[in-house]
Amino acid sequence: MVSVSTGAGRLRNASALQNMFDGPVPIICIFLIMAAIYASVLPSALSQYSIESLFNNSLPLMLAAAGATFVILHGGFDLSVAGVISLANVVVAVTPVSGPEGAALNLVSVLAIGLLVGAINGFFVAYMRIQAIAVTLATMIICKGAALLILGAPGGKVPDFMVNQLTGSLFGMLPVAIIIAAAVIVFWSVYRRTNTGRALLAIGQDDHAAALSGIAVAKVRFSSFLWAGAFYALAGYMLAAQTSTGNPNAGDPFLLLCFAGVALGGTAFGGGRGGVTASLFGAATLMLMQKVLFALGVSSFYTGVVQGVIMIVAVLMMPMMRAVTQSSRGNE
Amino acid sequence: MTTPAALHIAGLSKRYGATQALTDVSMTIPSGEVRAILGENGAGKSTLVKVLSGVVTPNQGQLEMDGQAYAPSSITQARLRGVSTAFQELSLIPNLSVGENLLLPRPSRTAFWPEARQKTMQRAEQILSDWQITDISADAIVANLSLAERQRIEIVRAFSHAKRLLILDEPTAALPDAQWLFDQIRRVTQKGVAVIYISHRLGEVREICQSATVLRNGSTIKTTDLAGIANDEIFALMVGHRPTPAVKVRAQSSTDVPLIETKGLGGWRLRDINLTVRVGEIVGVAGLEGQGQSELLRVLGGASTRRQGQVLVAGKPADLGTPRKALDAEGGIAFVPEERKTAGIFANLSAASNIALPSLSKISRGGLLWPSLERKFAEPMGRRVALADRYLSVPVGALSGGNQQKALLARALMTGARCLVLFDPARGVDVGTKQSIYAMMREFVAQGGGIIFYSSELSELVELSSRCLAMYDGRIVAELEGDTLNEESLVAAAHGTPLAQRKAG
Repeated sequence: MVSVSTGAGRLRNASALQNMFDGPVPIICIFLIMAAIYASVLPSALSQYSIESLFNNSLPLMLAAAGATFVILHGGFDLSVAGVISLANVVVAVTPVSGPEGAALNLVSVLAIGLLVGAINGFFVAYMRIQAIAVTLATMIICKGAALLILGAPGGKVPDFMVNQLTGSLFGMLPVAIIIAAAVIVFWSVYRRTNTGRALLAIGQDDHAAALSGIAVAKVRFSSFLWAGAFYALAGYMLAAQTSTGNPNAGDPFLLLCFAGVALGGTAFGGGRGGVTASLFGAATLMLMQKVLFALGVSSFYTGVVQGVIMIVAVLMMPMMRAVTQSSRGNE
Repeated sequence: MTTPAALHIAGLSKRYGATQALTDVSMTIPSGEVRAILGENGAGKSTLVKVLSGVVTPNQGQLEMDGQAYAPSSITQARLRGVSTAFQELSLIPNLSVGENLLLPRPSRTAFWPEARQKTMQRAEQILSDWQITDISADAIVANLSLAERQRIEIVRAFSHAKRLLILDEPTAALPDAQWLFDQIRRVTQKGVAVIYISHRLGEVREICQSATVLRNGSTIKTTDLAGIANDEIFALMVGHRPTPAVKVRAQSSTDVPLIETKGLGGWRLRDINLTVRVGEIVGVAGLEGQGQSELLRVLGGASTRRQGQVLVAGKPADLGTPRKALDAEGGIAFVPEERKTAGIFANLSAASNIALPSLSKISRGGLLWPSLERKFAEPMGRRVALADRYLSVPVGALSGGNQQKALLARALMTGARCLVLFDPARGVDVGTKQSIYAMMREFVAQGGGIIFYSSELSELVELSSRCLAMYDGRIVAELEGDTLNEESLVAAAHGTPLAQRKAG
């Protein structure tokens, strides 16, 4: 506990500096540094096409990490991400309705799937009090099984409208992927200040105290699984648009990378600290890192090693930054 | 207000598994009255608070508020009926602001689009000023507040919701000045709000409460006006018998080889410690916070390593690198650490298992543990610290703080060690438990053991110690015994100004 002198004057808020470092600022800095390195190594990276494809590649992981953050913030855990992405991906690939109506129809159906899986997770975890890891592992397996039933092998066809419009740029200059990511950031900056958003952080901090403060703990946990499911589904939807094909195993690589993105963003796995914006940048940094390593000519055999080391360094740096800002406050 | 009774409780019972926490509790609290609930740790006060605030539902019994049935199933429902609680364990969320905490679960009035932070803070500032808090800002982060400030915020939050009944569970545990609290209590009682006031501090209780209900073992023993009853009688009601007046029995120090002797012992924050603990002695250690007393006991108990000097156990140099080595040293040294929650108990194991734990080899048969044997061995140890037999099979985490402490002490006895190293053994426990612990300590040394203990209460050191060492800045600055051992001399010595003459040690 940091004790603050009560001798004179009213206790003021924590310094702005500390607030900044508790939020997504550190990971945004890391992302920008990484981007600068990338641009200096590979000047063509700043072209419209490169930026567009970078974000198209990154968006599904960013959305998945955003979804997982909702659950992790209250101290939970959700493995169903891999299953929901695969299922959403194949559903889009086997629904050949073209044009904007097709895109809308697909969006509605994958969101319904995501919400349903989220509701199942939330019901068992929040109300039945079954371990999150057991429940979400089961729903992941079920979803993956369902995806294989729908599409036995990679294939199918994603409507051209989705492929072209969702991976392109608006007015020829603003990649749709960036717009979607920005919309998620706006959504989160509002959501986290709503009563449910505050409750989510409160539960992650101390669920017992939250309950004694009158927060409906189970209800808030349930809703966080719903949001998570919806974001996973959106990730699968965007993945289909980006790859223009269906793959019943498409979600598998997302399972670990999505947690890596959340961790890199600085969200605490015990809950109560972090946010969706930080996770979006965490996931984006992870994808950018791969590109940077490739551009630097690091053999792909070493990519994993270097990525892991960078992750540890980044995660180490964040509490250090926090400690620095806190101790400077203590000296005031 | 002429409403006859704000709260009426009849035949209330609550069971947690095998533990009967409340049995047939009944009481009536009139509007505008401040009622003290008194009882030892484990008497059922906390459970009663939880039932009234909607955290747990009772198994039996009726609750009525203003003549209407009252059966809250959540904090929110209790608040809707005008009942709110300031919890002993403080239910604030550290990372949120004071204002948000005050307004939880709905810091924003609007559900979908959050209202401006400024408006939230304005409403919170209003609550703060309503309850005369001027030194804490609504946008301060709770984690940055001191414990006393957090306690006030917890109390203000309860006040802000209490329209009919206010429950204060140990509200002054961290409050340096109770006057502010009493002023606010008098304000709400004038409006007809009934108050349940739970505290171990009888002085406070007498100042603010009109009447008291005594609980013992989960049952109501008596409701009495506080005006006409002496403290001794209240203690007797709480404990079930009159506590024997503390007779200062000084154990005879023998001249045998000391159980523990240190020569020039040094370590982190410790310098040149020379002390002895002999058979039949209770050696007290006094000191202000952080003067090395904690480290000294940890070194003797094997929880920290020494850097310089020697420790002789029963005359032989001993290593004491780990608690296990301390136990295995000649005669054995058993250590009861400072933080019982983090360093002492295994909350999920039964009290019997906790007691038997360090002595597993003694009670295993054929390399296997038998629960019945565990119990058989734990029972006599439990009795020595007056731990009721019925608690032995209960997970320690479900016991009250006082009973947890008893179980820890029973474990130390179970090891068969001849020397006990105890850190503040009676901290935070009630009067009855304190007496049981003191009795155990006296009995232990009378039977040929030795004890070295630290206490944060000077009166305890004076009452129990045969000799008392005062520590300051990592050194022993004074050794007091006999007539020189009193609270004044201890205070002086602990501040590094040994007025009293140093006695030969």
